[in-house]
Amino acid sequence: MNQNVRHLDDGVAVLSLGGKLNMVSAPAVRESIAGLVAGGSSRVVVNLEGVEFLDSSGLGALISGLKSTRQAGGDLRIAAPGEQVRLVLRLTNMERVLVPFETAEEAFARA
Amino acid sequence: MPDTVSRPPKAPQTLDLAAPPDDVNSVHALLEAVWAAHEDVGPIDRISFETALIELASNVIRHGDDGDGVVCSVTVDVTEDRIEARLIDSGPRGDIQLSRSELPDELAESGRGIPLITALVDVVRYEHDADGNRWFLSRRRSG
Repeated sequence: MNQNVRHLDDGVAVLSLGGKLNMVSAPAVRESIAGLVAGGSSRVVVNLEGVEFLDSSGLGALISGLKSTRQAGGDLRIAAPGEQVRLVLRLTNMERVLVPFETAEEAFARA
Repeated sequence: MPDTVSRPPKAPQTLDLAAPPDDVNSVHALLEAVWAAHEDVGPIDRISFETALIELASNVIRHGDDGDGVVCSVTVDVTEDRIEARLIDSGPRGDIQLSRSELPDELAESGRGIPLITALVDVVRYEHDADGNRWFLSRRRSG
């Protein structure tokens, strides 16, 4: 899985992922988010545009990140999920907790 | 391609997996080959079945390893109206309640695999015999 981090002007960290977010790649994603929080970025957007597949292991990594960002006073939001990711979010009732935004820039625009 | 051409049924495809070093990405690769051989399987059926089978394989790899790794065989068959997978693994008897499909708390980091599988396929069966664990998934094709 490819990972890339950039920071928006207002300090929001955008973690862009590409590939499959499954039990193989989930630990590295979990570590990346934990590293951002440890480095002072508690507002994190995970850009899922390049993620072709998400399973419950990957979802667990996102929820872990959600909890660690909130504990640090921030939040984790997701952007640009594809059809398979939306299906998994819907079937697990996680759309209310991980509300999908269309773009990373919009995720914290009204925060 | 005209609908009237009747094509011969394509043979099921099988993957023999030994984890480690293999992992669920080998199962993704198997499905990629299956979809390439069955271009008529629609996108909703593909993503639904792939999600269910990867959840099952992840479960087997995670819970079936009693120290010596897991050996398993995955066979996927596409028929005119169904997509089916048979998985046989060497792990200890699975302690999985397939009928229990409630989702965990919102902030739980695990426990969604089995509910996802049951939501995505029409049939989930499990049995244990001398060869190990036998799993069967079947999804009726929607298009």
